[in-house]
Amino acid sequence: MPRRRAPGPPPDGSSRGPLVRFTFDGRSYEGFEGEPLAVALLAADRRILSRSFRFHRPRGLMCSTGSCGWCECEVDGRPSVRSCRMPLHEGLVARGEHAWPSVERDLISLIGFFSRWIPPTFYHHRFLRPRRLRKRYLDVLRWFGGRGRLRVDRRVDRSGAGRSRERLATDVLVVGGGPAGVAAALRAAGSGEKVVLIEAGRTTAAIARAGAAGIRVMTGVAAVGWYDGMLAALGDRVAYEIRARTVVAATGSYDRVPLVPGADLPSVMAARLVVDLVERHGVVPGRRALLVGAGPELATAGERLKRAGVSIVHGPVPTRALIAVRGRRRVTAAVVEFNGNKRRLSVDLIVFGDRSPNLDLALAAGAAVERHGDTLVPVLDADGRTTIPSLTVVGSATGRSGVGAGDPTQATAHPAAHPDAVVCFCEDVRVHEVRAELAAGYTDPELVKRRTGALTGPCQGKSCLQAFACVAGTDTVPTARPPLAPVRLGDLVPRS
Amino acid sequence: MNRAGIGRIFSDELPRHAEVVIVGAGIAGLGFARELVARGVRDIVIVERGYPGGGATGRNVARIRAMQLTEALTHVARACQAKYDRMGEELAFNVLFYRLGYAWVLYEADEVARMREIVAMHHRIGVESALLTPDETLRRLPILRGGEPVAGAVLNDDAIVHHDAVVWAHLEHLARTPVRIVTGTTVLAVTRGDHGVEAVETDRGRIETRAVLNAAGGWAGELNRPAGVIAPNRPYRREVLVTAPLRRSIEAAITFYRPTEGWFNQTLRGEIVMGVVDPDEAPGVEQRSTWDFLGRTAALMVRKAPALADVTVIRQWAGMYDITPDHLPLVGATNQLEGWWQANGWSGRGMLLGPYLAELLAERFVTGRTPPHLEAFDPDRFGPEPLADEAETDYYARYARR
Repeated sequence: MPRRRAPGPPPDGSSRGPLVRFTFDGRSYEGFEGEPLAVALLAADRRILSRSFRFHRPRGLMCSTGSCGWCECEVDGRPSVRSCRMPLHEGLVARGEHAWPSVERDLISLIGFFSRWIPPTFYHHRFLRPRRLRKRYLDVLRWFGGRGRLRVDRRVDRSGAGRSRERLATDVLVVGGGPAGVAAALRAAGSGEKVVLIEAGRTTAAIARAGAAGIRVMTGVAAVGWYDGMLAALGDRVAYEIRARTVVAATGSYDRVPLVPGADLPSVMAARLVVDLVERHGVVPGRRALLVGAGPELATAGERLKRAGVSIVHGPVPTRALIAVRGRRRVTAAVVEFNGNKRRLSVDLIVFGDRSPNLDLALAAGAAVERHGDTLVPVLDADGRTTIPSLTVVGSATGRSGVGAGDPTQATAHPAAHPDAVVCFCEDVRVHEVRAELAAGYTDPELVKRRTGALTGPCQGKSCLQAFACVAGTDTVPTARPPLAPVRLGDLVPRS
Repeated sequence: MNRAGIGRIFSDELPRHAEVVIVGAGIAGLGFARELVARGVRDIVIVERGYPGGGATGRNVARIRAMQLTEALTHVARACQAKYDRMGEELAFNVLFYRLGYAWVLYEADEVARMREIVAMHHRIGVESALLTPDETLRRLPILRGGEPVAGAVLNDDAIVHHDAVVWAHLEHLARTPVRIVTGTTVLAVTRGDHGVEAVETDRGRIETRAVLNAAGGWAGELNRPAGVIAPNRPYRREVLVTAPLRRSIEAAITFYRPTEGWFNQTLRGEIVMGVVDPDEAPGVEQRSTWDFLGRTAALMVRKAPALADVTVIRQWAGMYDITPDHLPLVGATNQLEGWWQANGWSGRGMLLGPYLAELLAERFVTGRTPPHLEAFDPDRFGPEPLADEAETDYYARYARR
């Protein structure tokens, strides 16, 4: 049995597929068919799944929403596949990307020792002389860029690829099938309105109940963009163009990584992810855990870990008590501070509970946001309507319930954030780099974004928008653009 | 290391008067300011509705291409490319000028015949472009393998730059001069007197001036109107998408014109940018993204380069081409209004042409003499009547008419 897998069936009683074999970076592993690749790798104690773009920092499974991109690897020849959403099958071949010789031991990560002297714009002040070497310098720079490998000669049958288009008109469109979304859908249907509900994930019991109540329910359908009131969404075979009088964003929340140095190390995990790992997959991600922050899932995570035999070293501690996370390739310790006394706790797992509202739809529609403590939330009227009258927000996407963040006392915590804490993970932008741009006069958030690269990576700010807004001291955010989540070009091809 | 930054270039206060008011802090406006300062003009204010580079300058993909379809434009474009090649030294800022290569990929026999003449013209004037056979095309541009059969390609050693870096280079340079920029400020009206321009009225107050440069990009028409100046350029939306970064896999910036105009290339960081033009796009100030663009672009790209089906789209955006009837910009003084200067109508070539033509325009402004390369861009060349709202989208037809 793999090292991290608890004996017996998963605690939540769900059934497992048969054992299948797969490889990662040439080594062979076993996992259960249909479970996410990242989970099977974690069960085998492979934690480093990718390397960060600039400094090749080790990254692993972290978030619960499939949006951080830290688990991206090449799967069966396709670049940058999110392994936390990739179902395992027999013979799957996975490879780490953007590392040499491998993500596990990546020599390019040595560049991290010099990271202080390599600001995001460093090449604009170098590489001009001698003139004849100018192109060579940029060739080298180009070699360091990129992540995935595009296999130009990979031949796949694409005859069935693409999506047919389906136009839908409805009174109410609910985006998100969590408790708040289902409740909103049932409420609208109860008052006689025609309701469509889309959910990117699986059908749950609650969603099935909504379906039984006459609501058109579509699961496995992800919103792609808000185009002037029309919402485009991608399913497995169909792309939907949905027009609704009212769109209800029930898109929940993102996991909010603590803004401290080292918080991006493998084994810093969101509480919801930890609950899922233990409950559904029987994978216990550590032995000594520290719980950090707030949020409804944190206590559950602590309880599940305890039951699985993990010792909870401390916690939950408030987020602002966490000063740093230590470790080279994974978490080995946490530094916490109480009443001015710093303590080093030896742990191999840090579970954080803080979340921030998913603002994607609100920002895409151009709705206004406002600051609640350390969190930007959509501006809402008493009925939950945003400043765009056809868009309503419910549940934790409002940032007013169930996210455990938005603590007004935290408003001043971020100006004190450690200079080396990472703000934007896709581009490894640190607090001091954002501050340097502000000090240099690039004060417009749009300019800070372009100068540092923050918000421009594959996650497009899903993991860092809140920290960025805090550190840049802005209540307005750079323009959001479609798609709402990364999408394969091949999946966008229309099929007649 | 140079950490000078841009200090106090952004002025909170609107000056009451200025010798020159430049409207638009894009490549044209910033370039003109820089060239004027170099010629001794000190009292310059740039009025910008958003933030510097927030229009087409920050939305294009900065291909700096010397090879063009006409001889006259190729001559100018070569000078423009050379201007970028020295920008690093001149502004002490590396704008990442990089000879990525540039290819027109051809799919039909008539394109090859037309391009044979154009390549001969290139060689005549010293641009070493090459007309490739279908086999050579697939060898040099492997990304096209497995796609629609090609009829050939024209390849030249052309360049890309980092468009934002060009903006920062200008900002950091101008920060060491008396030029100031007022951002978030829109010009609403223009005061005309007996002797020409007297002032511009902004949403934050009035600036008295005798010289205004309209460098407003897609908004140039909206600025000409209150000045009572008639010009034929119309803005058309153009859309772009960008993918997550990939390792070096595409050589050369690729453009094709059949069945419709499309293009893609890889940046130095590895992202792939691409777009397919909508031939039915209506004119107007419009920067919203569309869903149709994604489908249109995906369909054509996967047809031309099947490997692109695997790339991940992370963002799409739109900017404007401000298009004139002959697809050449308006750069110079207009005789419709004394003190009114045009640097607009770039027709999708503002990034390429901007810095060099700004230099020539500054020369014209200071000396009163029109440099030879500037003559073709006379703002009054179309006459005073407004032209029909039609932009020719077939690339070959557009040039065949001359």
